[in-house]
Amino acid sequence: MLTTKRNQYLAQGFLLVFSLLWVFPIVGMVLSAFRPYAETSNNPRGFFSWPETITLDNFRNALEQGEMVQHWIVTFAVVIPAMTLTLFLSSMVAFSVSRYSWRFNIALLMLFTAGNLLPPQSIIQPLFQIYNRIPIPEIPFISESGQLRGSLIGLILIHVAFQSGFCTFVLSNYMKTLPKELNEAAMVDGAGVWRQYWQIVMPLTRPALAALATLEFAWIYNDYFWAVVLVQQGDDLPITSSLRNLSGEFFTDDNLIAAGSLIVVLPTVLIYLVLRRQFISGLAVGAQK
Amino acid sequence: MTNASYPSPKEWDRLVRGKNVSRRSMLKGSAAAGAVVAGSSFLAACGSDDTEAGTEGGGSIEPGNASGALTIGSNLSDDTPKAALAAVVAAFPNSDVELSINTTDHNTFQENINTILQAGEDDVLTWFAGFRNKFFADQGLLGDISDVWSSISGLGEGFKAASTASDGKQYFVPAFYYTWAINNSKKLWSEKGYTEPKTWDELLGLADDMAAGGITPFAMANDGKWPQMGMFDILNMRTNGYDFHVDLMGGTESWTDDRVRQVFTNWEQLLPYSQEGGNGRTWQEAATDMENGTVGMYLLGTFAASNSDAMAEDMDFFNFPEIDSAIGSSALDAPIDGYQMVASPANAEAAKEFLLYISTAEAQDAYLGVDPSVVASNSGADTSVYNDLQRKSADLANAATGIAQFLDRDTIPDFASACGDVIAEFIEDPSKIDGLLADLDEKKTAIFADFGSS
Repeated sequence: MLTTKRNQYLAQGFLLVFSLLWVFPIVGMVLSAFRPYAETSNNPRGFFSWPETITLDNFRNALEQGEMVQHWIVTFAVVIPAMTLTLFLSSMVAFSVSRYSWRFNIALLMLFTAGNLLPPQSIIQPLFQIYNRIPIPEIPFISESGQLRGSLIGLILIHVAFQSGFCTFVLSNYMKTLPKELNEAAMVDGAGVWRQYWQIVMPLTRPALAALATLEFAWIYNDYFWAVVLVQQGDDLPITSSLRNLSGEFFTDDNLIAAGSLIVVLPTVLIYLVLRRQFISGLAVGAQK
Repeated sequence: MTNASYPSPKEWDRLVRGKNVSRRSMLKGSAAAGAVVAGSSFLAACGSDDTEAGTEGGGSIEPGNASGALTIGSNLSDDTPKAALAAVVAAFPNSDVELSINTTDHNTFQENINTILQAGEDDVLTWFAGFRNKFFADQGLLGDISDVWSSISGLGEGFKAASTASDGKQYFVPAFYYTWAINNSKKLWSEKGYTEPKTWDELLGLADDMAAGGITPFAMANDGKWPQMGMFDILNMRTNGYDFHVDLMGGTESWTDDRVRQVFTNWEQLLPYSQEGGNGRTWQEAATDMENGTVGMYLLGTFAASNSDAMAEDMDFFNFPEIDSAIGSSALDAPIDGYQMVASPANAEAAKEFLLYISTAEAQDAYLGVDPSVVASNSGADTSVYNDLQRKSADLANAATGIAQFLDRDTIPDFASACGDVIAEFIEDPSKIDGLLADLDEKKTAIFADFGSS
């Protein structure tokens, strides 16, 4: 009895220490975001000093200097179609590999999974050259360069290509847990393949889709690599580039960057809060079979 | 790997004399201006597409003929330089050309210059003179602008040399530069009665005085592993001279040479006088220490003044003193920024006209009117608006017999970062230097061999 109590104290103490370790830098960042640069730079204790001035100036400047609204529009124009398309296409693949037995089921699934393991950096040079040679019609905002390179379409496509592997893997595992009898019953009632997919399986897959949507949103939203290589117009870069815009050539205001980071992270946090319940139930996706 | 593109001491000397060349109004008659450097052997074969008939050498640019859209890819993403470029563009005299600026933040721009050049979406790009320009010119990624140079006046031979690639053609137009020197706080120095040291012994003597007075003599910042490259550059130029420095950067001298070792021996003498833990300190933190009077001297670019308004008021600087009287103290780092053209621009005619315009005093006055932290490259630029720091920078560069571009601009990028690693390890533990230099020399051989074969 005594030992379990002592163990409990130990465990609580351990958790307390580690949660403080985690929270400490985040609190520091939030605090410094509200403080003017001069205050932290001139104080011998720097960021560890007690705040005297609390101001929203850093947030205002970050929005303005990082041209965040402009870059957010670009980001959402990429993230939303890319995320929707990824989930749509990979749920179709997942549906067919989990519902129908086909010779190449395993091979197909392996191909998709293996694609996940490929580091994107390894294909960037050929991809850039390919993109540079594919002409597409010039549409303002969407594809001003007249090529796949430099267009938002190109960016969306590469996200779909790279993200669908993981999504297919997760969704097919989830769909395998749904009873086959549902489909059989639907078939008996005369439902075609599309109807089985769209009206029977997809609604049941919602927790997995929500979990994936949260993850995909965060991943595509945070992308910097693809955007920077495939887009040449400074104005067409996504929100992640705004943060780099905040550091000067020689001079960097850390407090401003802290404020900028808080602004940039906001949508991801909001999406997580909105989809939190599904996210947690979706975390167990494919865990039991 | 020739060093043809670097301004030699003699060429910089001519740059100084270039000041006597009277300023011409580039935008009116340029036929006469075309003759200024047309006799140069560099221009023998130019082969540009819009060669004007009847001019010597490779032809020249006739301003006012171009029309259509022109995009300038810019890394001037900080507020002030960005506004300054906008002012330059607004003052472009040819209204038939529709200019637009594509600004990318400078880090991203720098890391992606290769893809930016290959995409060729912009016609003209901001960039750096010297090796960094030559590097891409030699790969065929830049457009030859020798014909623009034949119309340029007011830029000395040193600037021309810093714009010339291995094939003897020009690929760059210098716009402005800034200098590296030892910065100090006017307030602290007048309070304590410190005076500018002219020799190495005086420098060490001054450091002793400062240390005795409880002031750390030298600020030391090296976050990002670039600030201390400046210290290596200047010590090498003072210890071994400008030519040796250029050869060392160009890969033709050995890093295990005793002369290189001597640079680090000298440097080791400064380390006890320097702030500790330099590798973790940003340049701003060290600048703030100088502003607060806890350090006495700070070798850095004049951009140190941008740390705060108080700093801009209080900062002064002086040339790094001589170490060897046979070598003197007239070489320094003064990185030049400017513009280059992509290999096949959508609008070559307008691009060249813009590049010619960028070289003029008019364009540079427009730039400096907004951003007073740099010095104009054109000798005809209006120096009456210069502040003290600018005037001093210009004097320093004009008196220099050798101008280096800074270590990370003067050599192959991969090799520059290898040098940065060695310098960072050296300031941490100077006793390791022999092993570090031996490794670095091996790396040099490998990196330069790759570069030569590509």
